[in-house]
Amino acid sequence: MLIFKLAVRNVLRNRRRSLLTIISMGGGYFLLSIMTAMSEGSYNNMIDLFTRDHTGHAQVHMGNYLQRPSLYKTIPKPDGIIKQIQAIPKVMSVAPRIYAPSLAYGDNKSVPANVIAIDPDAEANTSLLKQKLKQGTYLKNGQVDGGYFPVMVGAGIAQTLQLKLQDELVLISQGIDGSIANDVFIVIGFVGNESSFERGNVYMSLAAMQSFINAQQQIHELAIRLQNPNQAQSFANEFQQKLAASVQTENLNVAPWQVIESSFFNSMQADKKGNYVSMGIIIFIVAIGVLNTVLMGTLERTHEFGVLRAIGTRPMGIARLILLESLLLALCSCVLGGLLAWPVNLWMAEVGITMPEAIDMGGILFDKLLGEVSWFSMGMPALVVIGSTLFVSIYPAVRAARISPLAALQDH
Amino acid sequence: MFRWMLAGMFMCGCLAANAQMDAQQLLKKIDELYRSDSATATLQMHISTPNWQRTLELQSWSQGLDDTFIRVLSPKKDRGVATLKIANDMWNFFPKINKVIKVPPSMMMGSWMGSDFTNDDLVREVSLVEQYSVTLTENESLFVLQLLPKQSTVTVWGKVEVEILKENLLPTQQRYYNEQGQLMRTMVFDEIKDFSGRLLPARMTMIPHNKTGHKTVVEYTQLKFDVPFQQDIFSLSHLQSRFQ
Repeated sequence: MLIFKLAVRNVLRNRRRSLLTIISMGGGYFLLSIMTAMSEGSYNNMIDLFTRDHTGHAQVHMGNYLQRPSLYKTIPKPDGIIKQIQAIPKVMSVAPRIYAPSLAYGDNKSVPANVIAIDPDAEANTSLLKQKLKQGTYLKNGQVDGGYFPVMVGAGIAQTLQLKLQDELVLISQGIDGSIANDVFIVIGFVGNESSFERGNVYMSLAAMQSFINAQQQIHELAIRLQNPNQAQSFANEFQQKLAASVQTENLNVAPWQVIESSFFNSMQADKKGNYVSMGIIIFIVAIGVLNTVLMGTLERTHEFGVLRAIGTRPMGIARLILLESLLLALCSCVLGGLLAWPVNLWMAEVGITMPEAIDMGGILFDKLLGEVSWFSMGMPALVVIGSTLFVSIYPAVRAARISPLAALQDH
Repeated sequence: MFRWMLAGMFMCGCLAANAQMDAQQLLKKIDELYRSDSATATLQMHISTPNWQRTLELQSWSQGLDDTFIRVLSPKKDRGVATLKIANDMWNFFPKINKVIKVPPSMMMGSWMGSDFTNDDLVREVSLVEQYSVTLTENESLFVLQLLPKQSTVTVWGKVEVEILKENLLPTQQRYYNEQGQLMRTMVFDEIKDFSGRLLPARMTMIPHNKTGHKTVVEYTQLKFDVPFQQDIFSLSHLQSRFQ
C-alpha cells in the first residue's frame, strides 16, 4: 500500500512528463483500437455479406462435388437430411439446390445459363435472392397458365436475350437420364444487376427442374444459414461426424464457408496478416516512446533511488515501484485512449466510411469501411499497451534496483 | 535373265493389284452394307453408363450416303425429337420447344442423344473407299482391312481396322485408333439376320475405351431396302413438321 501511494505521488509529482507519456501511450491505444475495429468490422461485414449473399454459412454435398461438380453427384432423398439439419438449434434455415448448366435461347441468340433450382421459401430465408428481385414477382412453386413453369432470370441473360416479363425462355441442357433436356419457361422476374453473382443465372422451382432434367428426388447442394458465421466451422465438424455415423449419409460432405469460398477466405486471411504487421509497427513505436519516458524518468531520479536504497528500501521494492508507476501511466492512457476511440468506433460501426472505389473480394464488392465496438477492438489494444509498457519498463526497473546508494549519492 | 526378271516384276505387280482390288471390293461391301439407294429402319438403342441406362426406339430413313433422317419414337418424353443430316450438315429438332438447332462444328465430336455415337459418326457416314487407303491382311477365318486416312480426309482417327468373317463376308468388328495408335473404341457386329433378302448383323455394340462403363447397343428390329418414300423427307420443313 505504501508502495502504491509512493507510485501515485511520483506520477503526480512530475505532471508534465506524466501527461506527455499518457498522451503518447493513449495515442497508441487509440490507433490500435481504431485499426482493429476497422479491420474486424469490415471483415465481419464482408463475411456476413458474402455468406448471406448466396453461399450460406455451410453446405452439404455428395462426395467431392465441391471440387469436381458433376450432374450425377446428387444427394438422394434429401428430405430426411433437411429435417435432421433443421432440428439443430443453431441452424436458422436450409435451402436445397439443383444445378444444371444450360443453353438459353432467345429469338435469335443463345447464351450459356447456369440454371439453379431452388425451394423459393427456403431460399428466401437462406440467401439474399428475394431482396435482389428487381422487376416482376418472386419465384413460386407450381406452374403458371398454360402449363409452363415460371423462372427468374439474371440481369446479364435478360440483357443479352432482351427478355421482357412473361416472355418465353427456351432452355436446353443435359438430362440426368442421358436425354437432352429441353423445355419452355415463362419469365416472371428479373434478379440482380449486370455485375452481381446472379447475372448469368436462371432460377426455377425444384419441381420444374425435376421435370426439366428428368431428376428424381435428388439435389446437388444444401445451403445452411446459421445464427452466426463464426459457428460455421464447429457446425461443419459436428454435423460431418453425425453424417459419417450413418451408412446412408456417410458419403456426404459438410463444408463451412471458409472451405466453399476458400479464395475469398484466403485473400481475407492474407490481408489480415498484413494488418497485423502494421499493428506490430505501431506497437513497437509506442513501446519505444514508453521506454524512452520511463528510462529518462529513472535516470533523472538516480539520486532519489540512492536515498531510497540508503534508508533501507530493498532493490525489489524499487523495481516494483517503477513497474507500478508504469502500470498507472498505462492504465490512465488506456482510459484516455478508450474515451477517444469509443465514440469513433461507434460512429464507424453505425455509419462507416464509404470508399471512393469498391474493393472486389472474390466476386463481391465492398464499398464501405466499417468499425466495430467489441471486447476485441477495445480490450486487445489495452492489453497490448499495458503489456508492452510493463515489458519495456523491466529494463529501467532493473537498472534502478541495481543502483549502489553510495555511487548514486556521490553523483551530485 | 533380264526378261524373266521383268516378267516376275510384272506378275508381282499384277498380284498386288489384285489384292488391292479385293481390299477395295471388301471395303465397298462394308460401305454399302446397311445402305442402298434408300432404306428405312426401326431400331433400338440401348445406352448404358455408370450413371444411367436408357433405351431409345428410333426410326430412320436414309438415301445413299448423304441424307439421313432419324426420329425418336420412345421414350415418351423424347418422342418426336428428330435429327436431319444432309451431306455434311446436321440439325436437331425438339418438338417441345419447337426449335431446330443446327449442330455446330464444335459439337461434332459430342455425343448424339447421350449415346456413345458422336454426331460425327452420323454425319460422316462417309464412303470408306473414297476417304481411306486400305491394305488387306488375312488369317484362317478373317479378312482384316487396315484403313489409313488419305491426306485430304478430315478425321479424328489415325487408323481404322475392320475385321470381316471370310465365310459370309460380314464384318465382326471395327476398331478405331487415335493418331497415337491407341485403341479408342470398338464396334462389335453380331446376331446376323435376314432383312428383306440381305443377311446382315442386326446388332452393333459400340464400346468406347476411354470411358469405363459406357456402352451403346444398336439393334435393328426392321430394315427395308429400296422402299419408295416421299422425297421431301430430307428437308428442314419436314424436320419441323409435327409428329403425333
